[in-house]
Amino acid sequence: MIFNFQRLFKNLKLQAFLGIGGILLFFRLFVNADGSLPLMIISDLLVLITAAALIIFLIESLNSMTLNPLSLVMNVGILNVILFCLITFSGSIFKLFFDNVSERIQNPGVLLYLAVFVYSFIIIGCMSYIFMVFKELYFLRQKRNVNVYFNTMIVFIFLASVTYILKDYPELSFIKNTFIIITIILIVINSLKISWIAFIVKKEKISLLILSVVISVLFVVNLINSTDSNLHSKIIYSFSPALSQLTTIIMLYGAIYFGILFFTVLFHLPTAEAFDRKAQEVSSLQYFSKLITEVLDFNDLADTITEIAVKLCNAHASWIVMKDDSDLKTIANKNIGFVDANLLNQFIFRSEKREKRYNTFFMKLEKFDGIEKLSEKYSNLAIAPLIAHNELKGYLVAAKKNELLFDEEDKNALDTFSDYASVAIENSRLLEESIEKERLEKELDVAREIQRKILPNKNPAIDNLNISSVFIPAFEVGGDYFDFFDLENGKFGFIIADVSGKGISAAFVMAEIKGIFESLTKVYESPKEILVKANNILKRTLDRKTFVSAAYGLIDFKSEVLKLSRAGHCPIILVRDGNVENIRPTGIGLGLNFSSKFVDSMEEIEIKLKENDTFVLFTDGITEAKNVDLEDFGDHHFERVLLESINENVDGIANKVMREITEFTKNTAQHDDITLVILKWKSAHNKGGEKI
Amino acid sequence: MAEFNTSVNDKGEISVVSLKGFLDAHTANVLENTFSNLLEENKYKIVVNFEDLSYISSAGLGVFMAFIEKVRENGGDIKLTSMSDKVFNIFDLLGFPLLYEIFKSEDEAINKFKE
Repeated sequence: MIFNFQRLFKNLKLQAFLGIGGILLFFRLFVNADGSLPLMIISDLLVLITAAALIIFLIESLNSMTLNPLSLVMNVGILNVILFCLITFSGSIFKLFFDNVSERIQNPGVLLYLAVFVYSFIIIGCMSYIFMVFKELYFLRQKRNVNVYFNTMIVFIFLASVTYILKDYPELSFIKNTFIIITIILIVINSLKISWIAFIVKKEKISLLILSVVISVLFVVNLINSTDSNLHSKIIYSFSPALSQLTTIIMLYGAIYFGILFFTVLFHLPTAEAFDRKAQEVSSLQYFSKLITEVLDFNDLADTITEIAVKLCNAHASWIVMKDDSDLKTIANKNIGFVDANLLNQFIFRSEKREKRYNTFFMKLEKFDGIEKLSEKYSNLAIAPLIAHNELKGYLVAAKKNELLFDEEDKNALDTFSDYASVAIENSRLLEESIEKERLEKELDVAREIQRKILPNKNPAIDNLNISSVFIPAFEVGGDYFDFFDLENGKFGFIIADVSGKGISAAFVMAEIKGIFESLTKVYESPKEILVKANNILKRTLDRKTFVSAAYGLIDFKSEVLKLSRAGHCPIILVRDGNVENIRPTGIGLGLNFSSKFVDSMEEIEIKLKENDTFVLFTDGITEAKNVDLEDFGDHHFERVLLESINENVDGIANKVMREITEFTKNTAQHDDITLVILKWKSAHNKGGEKI
Repeated sequence: MAEFNTSVNDKGEISVVSLKGFLDAHTANVLENTFSNLLEENKYKIVVNFEDLSYISSAGLGVFMAFIEKVRENGGDIKLTSMSDKVFNIFDLLGFPLLYEIFKSEDEAINKFKE
């Protein structure tokens, strides 16, 4: 069997209270204690234990709620008013139902006794609650362990109450008097423990000041009233002398406590503001540390910021406006729709001047002509600029409804908080940027990988044609492509192409180009036809701003003729007999035009090959390679280098060119792919002669 | 990163877009925005002045391709003027002179529109 001890224990407290109350009722109804001191003491003890059980139960049930000292004080005030009414009107009410209450009280009948019992229990209830509040206030914000004082006081209150019965025995009343004096001293000492008032804000202090003076006066009035020999005191005394004493002591405690509270609050008022500010800073720091943990996700961070902003200045809604180039973008709207937020943004930032403010400012919406378009009755706005690195990044906006105003405290709070928020937002953005950068680098790795796999991994070895190729990818992958096609019937095709744009999209187009030419070269021979067909295929897939420059050549080993067409690519350089010739048949780039204009513009030229004819295919990565002064490597420089090295073999020429470019571009970053392909014609006659 | 910016001057119903700096993959979106704005205002007669343009990359050329169709569908045109030899050479290699009217001076282009 499993017992839920905790629940049982909690119920026990209620049960204990009810049980003892029942025993008390039973005892008082059936045991005539009159004149018997021990029996009366037992009766008093039962009353006190009932009160103690009630207090313990109240404390237990109160602990489950969050405590606001001001509301506790307020409750005490209300109870005091009730007490005042009870004390003042109890006589009249009792007289309505019973005759001669004052006389009969010594020997009441059952009905009257029950009435007395209920009345006394109401008083016990009030007293227990008041005492419970004292206890809660006493331990509020106490740092040191001060149980001893309070517990001692409880013991003496108990003793003073119990010994009150001795007042009928003058020779023993010194005991009672001693206890009372000690109790009062302890009450005064304990009433000084009111450090909790330091932690409430100025506004609350002012209300506390008024409350405490009222409550203190009420306690004094009730105290005087209840010590009078009116019906109330007679009833209570007849019920239990100890209860009457306990009531007196608690009211005295109240009068002293709230009296002291009043003066302390009064003296605290001048420094309240400074204290508030300090407290504000502390809580801002707490918020700040919360922001730091959120910095990993920008959206979470923005949500947290608006959430805190709402709490910080008791606003109804909050959102962030981020400056995005010249646009303002609403994010993280809390308790407000995008539509409303955007409407309000238009109002706030309708003039440029607003955007120059560097401190929190307020705005009333009464002049906003679109106010009926809003779904909620927003009336006041507070706008805090978010500034990082001396640059305005956006605004934190808070809105209140129903004519509620923002005050200076809200302004200060928002000022401080928006500083922290700006830093957090900036950090988050930087983090996101570096993550994005990393992602981009990964993407570029993929693009480079695609490119590497597409390009031929070695140069074909052909008897009549010496081939060398160099490819150097830029950091941001370009779309350079070259390829060789060893065709049937003693023919050989080559292509060089450059896809516009960079990165992974260029790499994909390049892959597509390879596929297109791989298949087209198997079906068609004519360079012009192949380029025209390629253009038609690309029409379906290229987006409008992407195009491809290409040049395709076909060498017929038998007839020793090169056929060449060019679609917008750099000229092919032919070095022949110590002269440089730019071969530049007309032709529009692939993907620029899909009409007959493309077909009509495309030339196909034929060149009869001569011994040592050197064809240089390249992309603009070479001629546009930049030095530190942003000057181009240039056509002339390129041609000069080619001429200087023309007598070397193809690899030698390529190396020389690359060395020159490296020298020229030192200390700068390569901004585009570099592709260089060199073909040198070795006549079949010579070769043949050597071979046989 | 090199700078690039555009400025738009309206001469009657013709909008003259002047380019300055380096037009490449990183700055192409600036020109895209300029064209988008013009098209939004239903301005389809556009002259682009290349006088202060130092460099144009393939991505920069792509911007013209992205808009020319829509401009011509609406009875307008993009005419190019005042290119340096270097910039013209890039356009020329790709066959742009077959697709666009390219003029020596801004006035020639504007007059051509007025014809």
